[in-house]
Amino acid sequence: MTRWTRLRENSLLLLPSVILTVALGIYPLIWVLRYMFYDYPGYGEETFVGLENFRRLLRDTAFWESVRNTFVFAGGKLLITVPLSLVLAVILNGRLRGRHFLRAVFFMPTVVSTAVIAVVFYLIFNSYNGMVNQLLMKYHLIGSPFEWLGPKHAMLTVILAAAWGAVGNYMLLFLAGLQSIPHDLYEAAAIDGAGPMQRFWRITVPMLGPVMQIIIMLAIIASLKGYESIMVMTEGGPIGKTEVMYLYLYKLLFPVATSGAPADQQFGYGSAVGFTTAVIVGIITAAYYWMSRKMNKVF
Amino acid sequence: MNEQTAAMGKPVPRKRQDGAAFGWAGARLAAIAGRAVLWIFLLAVALLTLFPILMTVTGSLMTNAELMGGGRILPSSWQFHNYAEAWRQSNFARFTWNSVYMSVAATVGTLLVAAAAAYVVDRRHFPGKSLYVGLQASTMFVSVGAVVLRPQFDLMVKLHLSSSLWGVILILISAHASTFFILLGFFKAIPRELDESAMLDGSGFIRTFYRIILPLLAPGLGVSGLFAFRHAWNEYILPLVFTLTDPGLQTLTVGLANLRYGASAAMQLNLMMAGACLSILPMLVVYMLANKSFMQVTAGSVKG
Repeated sequence: MTRWTRLRENSLLLLPSVILTVALGIYPLIWVLRYMFYDYPGYGEETFVGLENFRRLLRDTAFWESVRNTFVFAGGKLLITVPLSLVLAVILNGRLRGRHFLRAVFFMPTVVSTAVIAVVFYLIFNSYNGMVNQLLMKYHLIGSPFEWLGPKHAMLTVILAAAWGAVGNYMLLFLAGLQSIPHDLYEAAAIDGAGPMQRFWRITVPMLGPVMQIIIMLAIIASLKGYESIMVMTEGGPIGKTEVMYLYLYKLLFPVATSGAPADQQFGYGSAVGFTTAVIVGIITAAYYWMSRKMNKVF
Repeated sequence: MNEQTAAMGKPVPRKRQDGAAFGWAGARLAAIAGRAVLWIFLLAVALLTLFPILMTVTGSLMTNAELMGGGRILPSSWQFHNYAEAWRQSNFARFTWNSVYMSVAATVGTLLVAAAAAYVVDRRHFPGKSLYVGLQASTMFVSVGAVVLRPQFDLMVKLHLSSSLWGVILILISAHASTFFILLGFFKAIPRELDESAMLDGSGFIRTFYRIILPLLAPGLGVSGLFAFRHAWNEYILPLVFTLTDPGLQTLTVGLANLRYGASAAMQLNLMMAGACLSILPMLVVYMLANKSFMQVTAGSVKG
């Protein structure tokens, strides 16, 4: 077989992947890296403005407000998701009857569309005719309708919706980690007289460390990036209370035209915001990785 | 008993000494109470998990008045014609067709592109191989959010693909890195002797790919196909962006979310629930049939 035949065969099979990756994966990144230094309304001419977009970003209070909201959202989601999924994984790792069925139930939300379930949450958490309030009032758990999507509680509601979709996924990842812990460790500890709590803290937690470090990192990244459900449930409102940074970014890149006037397109500034959000996520991930480095040691 | 509770990691009898102090009967009582607490907790979480889905299903079978006013969980009379209405009036027939078309095309495309690439990478040496693999890996981790949608969209406009679902399909296929790595794992399990002997018998490299390798790769294609299909079927923002100007192309996720701003003041909540069901149920049925595969691949991502 000649070299040319080999080359032709290789390229024929590899080219679709390479072309798609370069055109739709790499080129957009270069586009962002270029236009963040430009003023570019999407048509006509583009002007090089240097660091002007970043100067504007520093003064953009709406953006920094959205960064703050992102931290509240991600923090809230993590505080519910990580402990709950770990507890469920530890319980379902035992020889409990019905554990396979329960695992399937808890994992089920991961196959449901985030956008569709956000529509459902939007409907059932509606203050006046939503089913959640109706049921809570029927059983006298609340006296008057609770404003789930009002300015005060909207953040809580979007956090609950996001946690609903995420717990099963992390439960399964924790389960995979738990199942790699050798069983004889527990048996040896039991013979030595260690109680259940001791075995949990002295065996499960340290042995799970490296896997847990990765799982929590995945959870942090996912919770900083998620904005689909917020977009559907509140669109960042009311009064910007649930505007997270990736949603703010989306609105810059795909602005909605209001009443006839063409939408105000600022792709240069949007690129600068996109780059900055990626850097923020990167810094947090790196900081977490550094702070959690002890978890990586198996004793 | 003790070992079982230990495996569950729950502080059932608080300490051994406590049990001893209460005597045998006390320890047993504490263990039973512990189990009860455990089960109440598990059932509560299961109920909260199922509640939104249950409400969607039962809500889709109520009259609108009952849904808005009641606080009922089960409908007083089952309104199956809601589905017929959603199907015809609210354009869900169109949305469903678009979703099926987009998801099937994206899944088949992703599998073919990723399988062909994995075949070459696993069976051949070529210059730039590690660069290619590194590139694929890096596309999974860089995330600048919706910004990249803008150049992707503009590119599709230039290629005249923005007025069909093919723009969305190509972008979905371009994100085939995870499928590529899953399939690469499955390739390791196919013995090289098989394709080598086929090639000795005169079958070419490419012919061997679709005659010998693809059939042997079926389990891997099935599992990663499930994931690709789930991803495409549930995608929201991509089809949203591409169908802003052409509502006839909307998929179920986009069409349903857009119903929130219904033209009429009174929202047809029950029809929206029926639409949500149409979107959720196919995936749930697939999940019930193949939940082991879903869980295996998800778990595999940390086991490495």
